[in-house]
Amino acid sequence: MADEHETNDRKGVTRRQFMTRVGVGAVAATVVGGPPAGRAEAAQVMRPGEMAKITLWINTRRHRLLVAPRWSLLYVIRERLGLTATKVGCERGECGACTVLVDDRPIYACMLLAVEAENKKITTLEGLMQGEQIGPVQDAFIQHDAFQCGYCTCGQIMAAEGLLRKNPRPADEAIPLAVSGNLCRCGAYPQIFKAVRAAADKRGDQ
Amino acid sequence: MKPPRENIYFVDGLPVPETPQPGEKPAPWRQTRVIGKARPRVDAYERVSGTAVYPSDVILPKMLYGAILRCPHPHAKVRRVDLTAATRLPGVHAAISGDSLKVNPEWEYRTFGGPTVKSLLFDPHCRHEGEVVAAVAAETPYLARDALAGIQVDYDVLPFVTDEQQALAPDAPVIHGDSNRVGPPQVYQRGDVAKGFGEADVVLTETYHTACELHTPMELHGCVAEWDGDRLTIWESTQGVFAVQSGVAKALGLPLSKVRIIGRYMGGGFGSKLVAGKYTVIAAILARQIGRPVKLVLSREETYLAVGNRPPNHMALKAGVKKDGRLTALDFTGTGSGGAYPAGGTSLLDWQVRDLYTCPNVRCETTDVYIHAGPARPFRAPGHPQGSWALEQMMDALAHAIKMDPVQLRLKNIPAFSQARDGQPPYTTTGFAACLQEGAKAFDWQQARLKPARGKADEVWLRGVGMAGASWFLGAGFGPATVVLRVFADGSVNLNMGAADIGTGTKTVMAMVVAEELGIKSDMIQIEHADTGSTQFSGPSGGSKTVPTDAPAARAAAVAVKRQLLAMAAVQLEEKAKRLTIRDGRIHSTGASDKAVGIAELKELKRQGVIVGVGQKGPRPEGKVVVPFAAQFCEVAVNRHTGELKIVRFLGANDSGRVMSRLTYDNQVYGGITMGIGFGTTEKRYLDHGQTGKLVNRNWHDYKLPTALDVPVDMTSLPIEMPDDQANIVGAKGLGEPVTIPTAAAIANAVFHATGIRVTTTPINPVQLSRLLAQHRKKE
Amino acid sequence: MLPDFAYTRPTSIKEAVKALSAANARVHAGGTDLLGCLRDEIFSVDILVSLGRLDSLRGIRQTADGGLRIGALTTIADVAENLLIQKHYTALAQAAGEVASPQLRNQGTIGGNLCQKPRCWYYRGEFHCLRKGGDMCYAADGQSQFHCLFGSGDICYIVHPSDTAPALIALGAKVRIAGKRRQKTVPVEKFFVLPEDDVQTETILAAEEIVTEIILPPPPANLKSRYRKVRARRSWDFALSGAALALQFDDSDVVRRARVVLSGVAPIPWRAPAVETVLTGQALTPAVIARAANAAVENAEPLAQNEYKVPLLRGMLKEELGAFG
Repeated sequence: MADEHETNDRKGVTRRQFMTRVGVGAVAATVVGGPPAGRAEAAQVMRPGEMAKITLWINTRRHRLLVAPRWSLLYVIRERLGLTATKVGCERGECGACTVLVDDRPIYACMLLAVEAENKKITTLEGLMQGEQIGPVQDAFIQHDAFQCGYCTCGQIMAAEGLLRKNPRPADEAIPLAVSGNLCRCGAYPQIFKAVRAAADKRGDQ
Repeated sequence: MKPPRENIYFVDGLPVPETPQPGEKPAPWRQTRVIGKARPRVDAYERVSGTAVYPSDVILPKMLYGAILRCPHPHAKVRRVDLTAATRLPGVHAAISGDSLKVNPEWEYRTFGGPTVKSLLFDPHCRHEGEVVAAVAAETPYLARDALAGIQVDYDVLPFVTDEQQALAPDAPVIHGDSNRVGPPQVYQRGDVAKGFGEADVVLTETYHTACELHTPMELHGCVAEWDGDRLTIWESTQGVFAVQSGVAKALGLPLSKVRIIGRYMGGGFGSKLVAGKYTVIAAILARQIGRPVKLVLSREETYLAVGNRPPNHMALKAGVKKDGRLTALDFTGTGSGGAYPAGGTSLLDWQVRDLYTCPNVRCETTDVYIHAGPARPFRAPGHPQGSWALEQMMDALAHAIKMDPVQLRLKNIPAFSQARDGQPPYTTTGFAACLQEGAKAFDWQQARLKPARGKADEVWLRGVGMAGASWFLGAGFGPATVVLRVFADGSVNLNMGAADIGTGTKTVMAMVVAEELGIKSDMIQIEHADTGSTQFSGPSGGSKTVPTDAPAARAAAVAVKRQLLAMAAVQLEEKAKRLTIRDGRIHSTGASDKAVGIAELKELKRQGVIVGVGQKGPRPEGKVVVPFAAQFCEVAVNRHTGELKIVRFLGANDSGRVMSRLTYDNQVYGGITMGIGFGTTEKRYLDHGQTGKLVNRNWHDYKLPTALDVPVDMTSLPIEMPDDQANIVGAKGLGEPVTIPTAAAIANAVFHATGIRVTTTPINPVQLSRLLAQHRKKE
Repeated sequence: MLPDFAYTRPTSIKEAVKALSAANARVHAGGTDLLGCLRDEIFSVDILVSLGRLDSLRGIRQTADGGLRIGALTTIADVAENLLIQKHYTALAQAAGEVASPQLRNQGTIGGNLCQKPRCWYYRGEFHCLRKGGDMCYAADGQSQFHCLFGSGDICYIVHPSDTAPALIALGAKVRIAGKRRQKTVPVEKFFVLPEDDVQTETILAAEEIVTEIILPPPPANLKSRYRKVRARRSWDFALSGAALALQFDDSDVVRRARVVLSGVAPIPWRAPAVETVLTGQALTPAVIARAANAAVENAEPLAQNEYKVPLLRGMLKEELGAFG
């Protein structure tokens, strides 16, 4: 019998699990683009417990929403906007599960107040997708089985994406360094390195 | 280790059902088309696209956020809890404590073969830091935090003991009853060790210590609880939905049918998510009281305190060997603590000593004690990495003493049967010798061992290689477990099972099993799993049980539907069913090439709409025991000046029977090694013993997991593939645990080879090595 | 989850200083250390004064005299990756590259790195220690593996967590501070406070003062500098022991001037004049290196569990000095 060949190419295939996200709050995401260049309003004081209206640019969409000063970007992204690819692991800047790109650089969303993220370009894992189609780093993670439980994976992908945006042709040594702020308790590091290498090489070929 | 058997579903010793019947067992696979291949996971897309919904991702309409107030003292009695101020805060919907509840549910702790201790959900007698005292639910997690800050608690702060080596001191405060012994010392004996030591050419004695290790899976422990009338649904990050269901049902006095646990995706557990947490029940109570869904996810700091650990252990091992390498005697004593409740402080600690190597005279004694610290939970191969730390370093020292290669020494002592089990049953298969030999070959062990005698004075990095062997107590899995397959009229298949996929690739393996057996593509298979409301039964995924338990059930179910499909085709094609085979979704005659029909074209299938096949995990083989084996080899470099340790490369050779899925198999191997690197070189719980008894490192900075820079880029997985057809109908043995057992000891042995220093306490880090290197220099 | 606070984002340094004059106000720069402290309830805050709009505090510029000015809000990553710093102030680039993790280097600032709070697990934990206004130091008789060898004054055994500060001191950097009155400029070396001077603070900054800039002098000819950090794991970890070394050589490889500053061993970045004295006027022969390494640990006062830092520090300096040239 011939060896059965399966690719598992899920690009463009609608294959979502039953979604348990419902009612993620009323948020208007009306404008597409990026944050404005100038910003020079006078200082205002947000009082504790009061909600203030801010604008966040997430995945090229403008979100105008009410936040309390102490809310983290992580909380707003996950629990208010329902963008749950950004995971919560420690809420103290120690694991990388919540890694997002701010102005193309990976940061921990748990260590950034939502108010501080105003007028910055924020990219979450959802922002690497085009509809149902996954991006090249994500695809490399699939091909190299670069995860087990998958919970740190979105953060790992964002750290890798940040590396490749800054340095499209990274040296081998740069790869472990780039994901060294992202813990993986299942221990898929060697496959993560391979996946990032493959994604970089693929980009380099294009 | 076995998951705790307290739950309603299990009765030890009852025979489990089996399909197919023993006489109808399918032949072992020979040439496989799918099994064993390197295929991306069936749920890979969901995991990399963020569309996989983990329990902590669940957001429901009107959902509130729960939080738990925990006792800040290692030992205290709660005198009074005042919830008034917390309840009055805006946005706070409920605050509860033991006194505010009509029923404060009972909470039991027990360990395999040990006592049962009853406690309460909110036990006013707090026997460890992090015991639950009160809980709240509010509109945001921030408001829930404020509510906790508003709760006033009066404690009687009591004397404590947190150091397991002090727990049996005469003046130590007692945790339960009149002694801190969990039970009488567990003694195992065969032969006569005194006689054995008399026969030995070399006798060595050494003491070993392993630090308490914490699971800290990436996804926090937590759940979302929602009531619909008297029916409770909980999305829980768990290794076993049915175990959680029974725990919750028991605590709340509900019929099992009214408790639905959904645990499709989960972000790691490693043994710490085998059962319901107190937080699970608390979330349910809060949700019922308020009439709104409640999400209760612990903070990272809470998970360090209250959801398990690998016990700290202290061991002494005396070993005798003859010059020809035969072991003559092993005498082992071990102590440890599973914390404030019976939780297996020394469970399986001595198993490697008892059973791994041929030795006629063995004595083991273990003493489990209570301390005022968070209860342990099973942690990936309970007891084994600790026991391996002692035994495998001792084997290395013995080899050194008799000037024999450490691999050779082990090869001299390979048993064909399990010496420590009643009746000394033979192993169904053992690839231990092959793991050692082929692993050594692939690692180029002989060559790697030859290194210039101690490096020159100006050489910064000292290099060395080390290895260790291992077996895992349980390789056969355990039932009951049921898998149901439904074949739709178009030939696509729904696979329904209860098992969780804890990251090991369970779903992928099961899909491959069905694809192999039915001759269809994996993407024709949709899996429903880990949902007590809609899937079949399976026990929690622990003890490396899932593949050897649920894969045979999946194959049995596939065989059952295949038989039906072939019978249908036989009628339609007017051919004997025996002469029919399925390939690429079509049923062909092996005789007449023109006789073929697609599954989707089967008239009888259309008539029935859907057909069903049921598969059940059969009993373990009688009179034999199923055991996986492993050997690991590594190369390290030690900075002679600073004691920094670099792990240069690692190789893991495993006999876990048939390789089911190559990618996820290798991933387990690398993951086990990585976790072993943490156990061996970076991780340690620190309690403030003499002063407050509190945990001082409760975050991922102070408690150090290995990062991407702490593992070697060069890792190799070498499967020693020996399908074990006696173990079950897929030929696979457990894998998830053996892969982490020998790692730390292999590193310690490599450090010895590099430096001449034997590090007997975990973790091997610059804190230890810089001191030991300095001492060593003085001696030289 | 953070406790509640007010928040303001002034548009000028003057406004920021004014906002900081309010009761219990604190500066928010990168926030990576601050938010951790608030989560752990080490201190409370009534109002956070964000410097996020003060763009003038960002960036690295060459000065007229050939030195460098680094705006206080420049990220650690930008410092680590700056080519001028890599070339002329190598120790600083290396130190910045060793800070925490990539994400934190992208967010944390050089000013914040100087102002961060210690990582003592008693200070960060639920222990009411001296530094938090309590009445005892828990490390003295407690879990002291990661505590100091020098400078405790038998009061408080923290180690200073910064990697960049020792490098800056070794390189002779100054810090510019804006406050109520005029700006002032202070050598980085004089920026830190020992427990014996004030156990509740780590820097000389008054509540309303802000670090605005780091000024590096022009690099002297033949200056070689390095930063070495030993830690318990290879990423996201503070120094068990570290050293910034700035050595100026003459043409015959003799050390003309030496500045040696240790990290991970004292409550402040710890200048080691005894080591500098041994090195000055000497070529780095094995004998000189051994004497220098011994000099570094001469007055070490280890606690019960951090004695290993003595051989570690000595060994690290041996290796590091051996690597020059």
